[in-house]
Amino acid sequence: MTHIKLTAKDGSPVEFIKKDPMQGGVKDVYWHPQKQYVVAFFRKKLDIAGKDRIEKLVGTYRERIFGLAGGEYWKKIFCWPEKIVEHEGLTGIIVPKYEECYFFAKGTSLEGAEKEGKWFASPKNFNRFVPPEEKGDLIGYMRICLSLARGTRRLHLAGLSHSDLSYKNCLVDPKGGNACIIDIDGLVVPGLFPPDVVGTPDFIAPEVMQTLSLPLNDTNRKLPSRLTDLHALPVLIYQYLFHRHPLRGSKVWDMDSDKQEKLEMGEKALFIEHPTDGTNRRKVENGEDKLLPWINTAKIPYTIAGPYLKALFDTAFIEGLHNPAKRPSADEWEAAVVKTMDMIQPCQNKSCPKKWFVFDNKSKPVCPYCGTPFKGVLPVLDFYSDPMGKGKYRPDNHRLMVFDGVSLYKWHSDRNVFPSEKVSAADSKRVGYFRFWKGKWMLVNEGLPTMKNITAGKEIPIGQGVDLTDGLQLLLSNEPTGRIVNIQIVNG
Amino acid sequence: MRRLPIYLLIDTSGSMRGEPIVAVRSGLQSLLASLKQNPYALETVALSIITFDGEVKNLVPLTALEDFQIPYIDAPETGATNLGEALEMLLQKYDTEIVKTTPDRKGDWLPFTVVMTDGKPSDTLMFKNMCEKIKRYKFARVVACAAGPKAKTEPLQQFADDVFTLDTMDSSTFSKFWQWVSTIVSQQSQNVDSTQKDELPPPPEEIKLVL
Repeated sequence: MTHIKLTAKDGSPVEFIKKDPMQGGVKDVYWHPQKQYVVAFFRKKLDIAGKDRIEKLVGTYRERIFGLAGGEYWKKIFCWPEKIVEHEGLTGIIVPKYEECYFFAKGTSLEGAEKEGKWFASPKNFNRFVPPEEKGDLIGYMRICLSLARGTRRLHLAGLSHSDLSYKNCLVDPKGGNACIIDIDGLVVPGLFPPDVVGTPDFIAPEVMQTLSLPLNDTNRKLPSRLTDLHALPVLIYQYLFHRHPLRGSKVWDMDSDKQEKLEMGEKALFIEHPTDGTNRRKVENGEDKLLPWINTAKIPYTIAGPYLKALFDTAFIEGLHNPAKRPSADEWEAAVVKTMDMIQPCQNKSCPKKWFVFDNKSKPVCPYCGTPFKGVLPVLDFYSDPMGKGKYRPDNHRLMVFDGVSLYKWHSDRNVFPSEKVSAADSKRVGYFRFWKGKWMLVNEGLPTMKNITAGKEIPIGQGVDLTDGLQLLLSNEPTGRIVNIQIVNG
Repeated sequence: MRRLPIYLLIDTSGSMRGEPIVAVRSGLQSLLASLKQNPYALETVALSIITFDGEVKNLVPLTALEDFQIPYIDAPETGATNLGEALEMLLQKYDTEIVKTTPDRKGDWLPFTVVMTDGKPSDTLMFKNMCEKIKRYKFARVVACAAGPKAKTEPLQQFADDVFTLDTMDSSTFSKFWQWVSTIVSQQSQNVDSTQKDELPPPPEEIKLVL
């Protein structure tokens, strides 16, 4: 055991204990003596390009993401290398330690282990090994998906691609709804730094898999890029929502397991829930009861994620699977998750494993996870806005399913506000809330100065409420970007 | 559920008696403990232990990691090193325990095997035959380790993909070896479905690769 003290390239002191490194794929990782951070050394000497890449990541790219307004927000989403050291000819990076929420809690069967995404992505791990108190609910997974889509969107906006997005490189905390992208040092700058990995099995895009055997400099060889991130991202989202892989079905393409893998993830890749081609459906084999219900796509179909995510899964896994240019962008995923979160209802079964479900607009809605039917009266708000400013309000394809205590925000009342890291503190205050009171649904205005009941032709001042009835129309704001809502009352 | 079968072939000949066998026991314990914290291993790994001295025993048949109980491993007072017979049993188990892929069902992943011995095979004819026979079987990888000063590496090179040596047979070296095996197994379970054979993670100083 040796206590090593070094000076980082930026002149600051760095210390670590050189003993029993944790071994990653390409790095040996050592702890700071008081475990304030880790120092990760690349096992192989980096060449000039490799060093240049690390320097840009720690320098320019880090500043570009963290130095701007909203920079603090990204510290939660990315575990980004902060400093560079050289020691005995090897290059090391200083990486913040992971937040406490990314370790399984004390007293659980996996106490102390990292909450690597893999624990929650596979049906066996999720059902059998994740401690019950760490399983989280649907809202937790939706928030994880939101963070991953946001993080990917931010990298792409900065001109970077992750190139190895996978459950190995993201930590997730379903209990608290947190996610963090780690192992950022492999980031790819298109045109400047080529990727040094092909990716992680399960996440390698079909076009990369198909051209794996071509030499690196062959122009037909496809390498990880922004477009392959846009394959890996929906694979991750799908896995966190359904605890199964979207392409690993039961179809045997070749008796040889290596060839099978190449075909299944490459040339022959086929969505297990393809609506018209059932070739690769996941069969439930003998002895697989412990993987239920997740591997039963008839019981837990991807459509339970609601219309916005369903549409994107269709584009990603059907149209865009072998046509990378068609894949939805990270901001489309982000927007779809945001809209979906407005459609979530609490399950009325107190012991429901997912506690919430995406309300599917059917007249007899049932929680897909536990089968409990929804009972009661539920207002559904459809949003309209007037993008041309000509008094013609058009549907925004966004709806809010109300439940008791749900809040209304500026991003509902104003079409120019989108809930992201850029929303100001003022704009993220709630502007209204819904209550079920004395047998009636009511919306109370808390922060909408120009709210109006269109149906009755009456202003609704701040501090007052309005009873919600079927067909009621409300103007939330008379600003040009303000929205109108139309209310439907659904009886369950 | 596709499994990643791991066969551990452990020498229990007379010379392993004492500290070496005790070290093997605690090494197995830490191997299991570490794999049981690994989501990739838990998802796919199934383990089997075959011991060999004058007699070859399938101490534990192929069992899913989460259900695996460490058996009591002992070494007799004296005894030969019937590695050939052990390999014969390995191939028998390969034929009977591993689920093969059929046109309508995916089978297990290719098995991974670790062989550890502190001597040289006593059943030379059988050993020679098995070295021939094993070539007809597909493994993800066969790693062999020659432990201690008397172990011979040449025979191991005839059937293993990678051969390593342990200079000493004390418990600290053994524990490092099993830790390293757990790293290899973890890596294998992450990349079961990879189309390229990855480099093995570098062994600790006490373990040397035979080129």
